[in-house]
Amino acid sequence: MEIVWSDFSESCPILKECLDSSDLAKETEDTLEYIYEVLWIEIGSFVRSKLAPTFWSCFKHNQTLAKFEKDGGSAEALQQQYKLFTNFVNAVKSLDAYYQFVRTSLEKLDGICQRADHGKSLAKLNELLRSALLSQLPTHFNNVVYSFYSVSFRVFFNLHQSTSMGQDNEDLDESGMPCKGCNQELEKCQCQSLLQTINEVNQKLVDLELLDRLAGQSMTFLVQQRIKEHIKNTCHGIFDRSHLKNLLTWLEDVVICWLMQVFHSKVSADPDAMHTDDGSKSTDVIQSLKVKLTFYVYENYALSVIDQFFSIIIDFPDSIPAIEDLKICMEKINLRRQIINTLKSSLEARILHPGVNTMDILTGYVAAIKAIRYLDSSGVILETVTAPIKEYLRKRSDTVRCVVTSLTETESGPTDLSEELAKGDAVKDGTKGNVNDELSNWENWQPDPFGLDNTVQTRTVKTSRSADIISMVVDIYGSKELFMSEYRNLLADRLLTQLEFNPEKEIRNLELLKLRFGESLLHNCEVMLKDIADSKRINSHIHSDTKYVENKQFDISSLIISAQFWPSFNKESVELPEEIANEFQKYTKSYEEYKGNRTLNWRTVTGKVAISIELGDRVLDMTVAPTQAVIIYHFQNKNEWSLDDLSTLVKIPPSVLRRRMAFWQSHGIIIESQPGIYKLIEDELPKSQLEKLPINEIITEDEDNESAMASASDQREEELQVFWSYIVGMLTNLDSLPIERIHQMLKLFASNGLGVEFTQDDLKDFLQRKVRDHKLIYSGGVYQLAK
Amino acid sequence: MAQNISPEHSGLSGSQGVKHNDDSVPIKDNHAVSKRLQKELMSLMMTTEKGISAFPDGENIFKWIGTIAGPVNTVYAQQKYRLSLEFPNSYPYAPPVVKFLTPCFHPNVDLQGAICLDILKDKWSALYDVRTILLSIQSLLGEPNNDSPLNAQAAMMWADQKEYKKYLDAFYEKHQDT
Repeated sequence: MEIVWSDFSESCPILKECLDSSDLAKETEDTLEYIYEVLWIEIGSFVRSKLAPTFWSCFKHNQTLAKFEKDGGSAEALQQQYKLFTNFVNAVKSLDAYYQFVRTSLEKLDGICQRADHGKSLAKLNELLRSALLSQLPTHFNNVVYSFYSVSFRVFFNLHQSTSMGQDNEDLDESGMPCKGCNQELEKCQCQSLLQTINEVNQKLVDLELLDRLAGQSMTFLVQQRIKEHIKNTCHGIFDRSHLKNLLTWLEDVVICWLMQVFHSKVSADPDAMHTDDGSKSTDVIQSLKVKLTFYVYENYALSVIDQFFSIIIDFPDSIPAIEDLKICMEKINLRRQIINTLKSSLEARILHPGVNTMDILTGYVAAIKAIRYLDSSGVILETVTAPIKEYLRKRSDTVRCVVTSLTETESGPTDLSEELAKGDAVKDGTKGNVNDELSNWENWQPDPFGLDNTVQTRTVKTSRSADIISMVVDIYGSKELFMSEYRNLLADRLLTQLEFNPEKEIRNLELLKLRFGESLLHNCEVMLKDIADSKRINSHIHSDTKYVENKQFDISSLIISAQFWPSFNKESVELPEEIANEFQKYTKSYEEYKGNRTLNWRTVTGKVAISIELGDRVLDMTVAPTQAVIIYHFQNKNEWSLDDLSTLVKIPPSVLRRRMAFWQSHGIIIESQPGIYKLIEDELPKSQLEKLPINEIITEDEDNESAMASASDQREEELQVFWSYIVGMLTNLDSLPIERIHQMLKLFASNGLGVEFTQDDLKDFLQRKVRDHKLIYSGGVYQLAK
Repeated sequence: MAQNISPEHSGLSGSQGVKHNDDSVPIKDNHAVSKRLQKELMSLMMTTEKGISAFPDGENIFKWIGTIAGPVNTVYAQQKYRLSLEFPNSYPYAPPVVKFLTPCFHPNVDLQGAICLDILKDKWSALYDVRTILLSIQSLLGEPNNDSPLNAQAAMMWADQKEYKKYLDAFYEKHQDT
């Protein structure tokens, strides 16, 4: 106080004198008025030139803090923070000391000058002080204030935690660690005393009416930061619990409580009538702060959930609580755009790249449908977010196959599509039901959420919004027909390659698919299954035909399929040796007798042949593909064949034949002694030599996976062939056309009767091939018929 | 003629054929008509009949371009003729308007390309279709009806086939230049 006093008297000697001399009262009123004015100016200059700079000087040397701000966790930064904390406390204390002094002086002065309205001059003084302080505001003062409040918050939070958790928590604390609140050894914890200091400082700031001005901004920043941190610490990566309620309680219990303490410290200390006004004012402040902070919590929590939405999708349905939370947040804040953008980009980054299996993408897609639908039943978000996935899947050639596989394979489907299929009935009354629904439920009709791209909205088709998951998946391609034809191929493959198939399972699948896609599309498949059953019957009938049985040399059992209903086969064929062909002839005859007016057209490359090979002293019993059997059959009479000779005999192109030979090479029965010359090995080769043989194992692997069906591109070719007559017709009459026109015309006039879809690129390939065959001429960007 | 009268278009038949059918087609029932035309197109594309062909000209299926080859063993052999076919929205209860686009020197074809053929006028029947129209026109080339000529000169010259052919060749020479 002495220093203050000397400081003060130094800077304004007149004041000192005036205050010291008690005989002022004797002066005239005019003089008094004059003196009062002069003193007031003196006080003003004192506050400006001395008080404010002194206060701010405590903040000066801390430019470095900003750096620590960023890595707030390090011990050094913590130390720094405590240092600043003390600085701030000291600064406020000294400011208060000055202030008190000036105030008492002013009171004295007022007394001397017989001023009645003491409150008014006090207010004037406060204003003076504020303006002086704020006019000299250093740029980095927020750092200091921030440090102060962050320490204060930490202390408070620590105390709060230890009181709410009780004694247990303290036992858990490792004794070596410093106290979380005051950064001191636990035994020397100073939290309580710190709290006291903090409260004092706050109170002083309230007295000075400086709290909001000085600390408001920093405090808000701090609180927001703490909220973010809290959300990150408590909620990150945990989706199976609802966090929202806890967060709000936390906000109420800790943050608001702390703010109350900051603002109310004065009220609690001095419940004077005069201050209740202030009290209610600060309650208002806290109320409005609370509303803001609640929204802040909602927003940040929602953002954190949105950021992790991909994981949520993957975890669905375990992550339902998190989605529920997000739903609540979405009611409060408009987040749709945010959700859509974030989700789109995260989906793109996570699953839509070449490194991901189609099956996995599909799994993600299905999960996304489920999760997003749970979040937003209107389907708008779903539509927008999944559009890129759909587009991407459309580009993958194996998508259809994957979908069909996962639809039909009950045990190995990670996408649960088969379960969905088994659930079944949802779509049976599909679109019709929805329309009715919409009409009868018009009272519950809700407009589409706004704030999204209009283009998206107009594009969305009502039915697809409410469609179930399978429809959504099928919808990738936009046509059921495509899926069904793929299913047909898959089924055909399965029926032909796995001769001992499980008819019950297939029939069940078929029935389920029929429920969903309708009878007509699956009629072919039904016939296929029936063919299999019929074949068995016919087989057993023919085998009971005595005429046939007496003559036969080996058993033939056939699979009789109706070519009309099966997908087309690939064009491979093999010429059977005469002896074997005769047997087939006999079988055919027997069949013809059994079924009048019908005959059999053998497909000799599909099926299985049980053969037994006697080589020297070895006997090998094997089941092989017909082509392989034919090949080895020819080695019966001749030990050495040139590739070309054999190729003409069995009518297989040399390149294909070479591949087929590899099978026998891998078994060590035939070797390619010279290029193009194959030789039978009579004696068993020692193992080591066998390994040296140049066999490509991969080729034989391929063999097993080969499909008997015509490949998709072959089928496509055939489909396009249908268009050829249209193209000819077009070009005959319209002379020459660019490809766009041809494509457009085909789409307009030719495709609807045939139900075939094709892209312009397909068409271009096709037309270019015709150009190569000299059927078309391409020049100047237009096609015309060759003369 | 009963089959010529469309349930909706009774009274419209007959006289319609002569005037140009460029009145805009009412949306009302042109769906059925376009469907019928689409079907005709398909069957036309699927049959590999030599010498006749037709295809919609652009996106409007009511307007076609046809091509017929001159019938062999006639003076018109080796020639190729383009025709335009415009279908009224009452098709097939009313006949299409068929005109030659390629200039054709023929007793029953005028210089503007209009054709005088009974099945395109009063003898029209709903049982006819694009294919039969084109075949009729093709045979008309070889067997003109000289009793009611549109091109009197051609009708007169027809009697002398050799002279006619000569004139025809000259005619096309001239028209190829233009």
